[in-house]
Amino acid sequence: MVCRSGGHYQRDLAAVRRGADQVFLWVLLFQWAFAIAIAVLWSPRGWAGKVAHVHAHVWAATFLGAAINALPVALIRLRPGTAATRTVVTVAQMLWSALLIHLSGGRIETHFHVFGSLAFIAFYRDWKLLVLATVVVAADHLVRGLISPVSVYGIADPEWWRFLEHAGWVVFEDVVLVLACLRGLKEMRQTALRQAQVEEQSAALDRALSELGDSQEAMVRAEKLAAVGQLAASVGHELRNPLAAIRNAHAYVSRRLAAAGGELKADARVGQFMGVIERELAASSRIISDLLDFARERPPRLQPCPLRPLVDEAISVVPPRAHVKVVNSVPHRLPIPNLDKEQFRQVLVNLVQNAVEAIPADRPGEVAVAAAGGEGAPFSVEIRDDGAGIPEELRSKIFQPLFTTKAKGTGLGLAIVAGMVNRHGGAIRVESEVGRGTRFVIELPARAAAAVREVA
Amino acid sequence: MARIGITWSFTRAAVLPLAAAVWMTGAGTGFVALAAYKATPGPALRPPGGWPAGTALQPGARFTLVLFAHPRCPCTRASLSQLREVLSSHGEGVRAYVVLVRPRGAPAGFERSALWASAASIPGVTVVADPDGAEAERFRADTSGHAALYDAAGRLRFSGGLTSSRGHQGDSPGQDAVRAILSGRASPGGARGDGAPVFGCPVQDAPAPPVEEG
Repeated sequence: MVCRSGGHYQRDLAAVRRGADQVFLWVLLFQWAFAIAIAVLWSPRGWAGKVAHVHAHVWAATFLGAAINALPVALIRLRPGTAATRTVVTVAQMLWSALLIHLSGGRIETHFHVFGSLAFIAFYRDWKLLVLATVVVAADHLVRGLISPVSVYGIADPEWWRFLEHAGWVVFEDVVLVLACLRGLKEMRQTALRQAQVEEQSAALDRALSELGDSQEAMVRAEKLAAVGQLAASVGHELRNPLAAIRNAHAYVSRRLAAAGGELKADARVGQFMGVIERELAASSRIISDLLDFARERPPRLQPCPLRPLVDEAISVVPPRAHVKVVNSVPHRLPIPNLDKEQFRQVLVNLVQNAVEAIPADRPGEVAVAAAGGEGAPFSVEIRDDGAGIPEELRSKIFQPLFTTKAKGTGLGLAIVAGMVNRHGGAIRVESEVGRGTRFVIELPARAAAAVREVA
Repeated sequence: MARIGITWSFTRAAVLPLAAAVWMTGAGTGFVALAAYKATPGPALRPPGGWPAGTALQPGARFTLVLFAHPRCPCTRASLSQLREVLSSHGEGVRAYVVLVRPRGAPAGFERSALWASAASIPGVTVVADPDGAEAERFRADTSGHAALYDAAGRLRFSGGLTSSRGHQGDSPGQDAVRAILSGRASPGGARGDGAPVFGCPVQDAPAPPVEEG
């Protein structure tokens, strides 16, 4: 909050000072034009007898005015808002007071330019500039007071401290302006703090609304999933028996066809269609198993389960692809974790199968399963592939039920994996780089696994 | 490469102080030149110690104050303001002339300027045209703004300018001296401020031609 309000304060102050620079750009240019105008109107020509020449005031207004303006105008254009710019502008403005007093023949009224200038300088809300301006005025009065006191004080023989008297009146205005500057800065700080508070509250409100929206969405999804899960479990259960009957019938017909001869055996399409029926029956069984696994959410029954043989078993189940090498890198001497063998086997099968399918068909690839930990330390199991990778925008969705990028996927595989890992007291995360591969890491805290075992 | 980077950084860091130094020097030089111009008086010879012979001006019964002016000189506006101020407070019994010099070779009517009107508006002042600067020569006035004050006996009591610098209004030694003399505060031996420098335009652009004898 403090940091944010400080940022607002600095930004607003910088804007105020850049704005003051722009004001001074026009003030400086106006003063230049004004000085030339009064010189041309008031004392255009000097004379020597009947011969006229351009008066020195016109040259002074034109060229000395240009010299005074050169650096501040350049800095305002090139480096607006900087301390150097406003310092130079301040000195220039006080030099303009001196020049205008010269050009007006020392008219006392022109001295009020000093006070007006101080008010303009206060636009910067930098009290140090007022001190600088006062020093310039005091120095000008001191030097000119020593050289030509009448040009400053209007009397020929002023007291030595007269410059202090003049500076004192300037200081009097300074006090008012410094207080105004400090008050202005305080108000800006308060405004910045209020703005930061409003922004923080607004952000908190946005977060709360977002969380509320997410919660509502999750709740609706959970309700839908629960309904779908119940329906799926019911349908899956009901479909199992017909599928078993179809499988038995298929087995019987296959055997009979194998034994039969003649026209049926000669027709190649009969054997081909029998193969299609077998594959689709297997696919239907797998879908039903997925649905039932997802719907049941059975608590894990933990028991000592060596991980390396379990990985071998999972790899053997996954349909092989000729160009994909699957490596079991789990150490032989890895301590034995407590796992629900059936569930964790399903976890490994799903992840290894996804990894194998992630390798593009036009190049060779490798899938490796590794593990570490035990002896009181958390277990970690890593399934790594060098396949196509998962785009960043999809990574947060892959564990959601029914989300899939595969043409024939159910969208339940990784949701089942995440659910089973969670029920083991663990967590799963994914790291991926498009074109380089993906790495799933399962972490099973030893303490959490033990707790689950006790509950089980 | 690192050396070049350091040199460039140093160069960039040095630009602003260098520019500021050049700027301050330039502005300072301009102010010094302006101050020098304003503080440089014109030549001012001392008028005759007695009322000049041959002048068309008539001396007053008590004091006679004569101010010579170039009709177009902008600096002389300040001298007229100073004169107005003196006469407003100490002008009783004073015969005051403002002599507007028409330089040699200047066209007729050259002296009829804004300064003429300004001088004529000062109470108690008689404005006189001075073709070819004859009166100015009699009083040895070479610079616009030169004032000469004579007493009833025709003695020169003050000669000099009434401003403290070129075109600058306000207290000046010359004005103080004239005030002191007119108010009787000055000693007959000489007022402090007598001989004050005169700030203004030269009334002639060339010296007077030599007078041919016989």
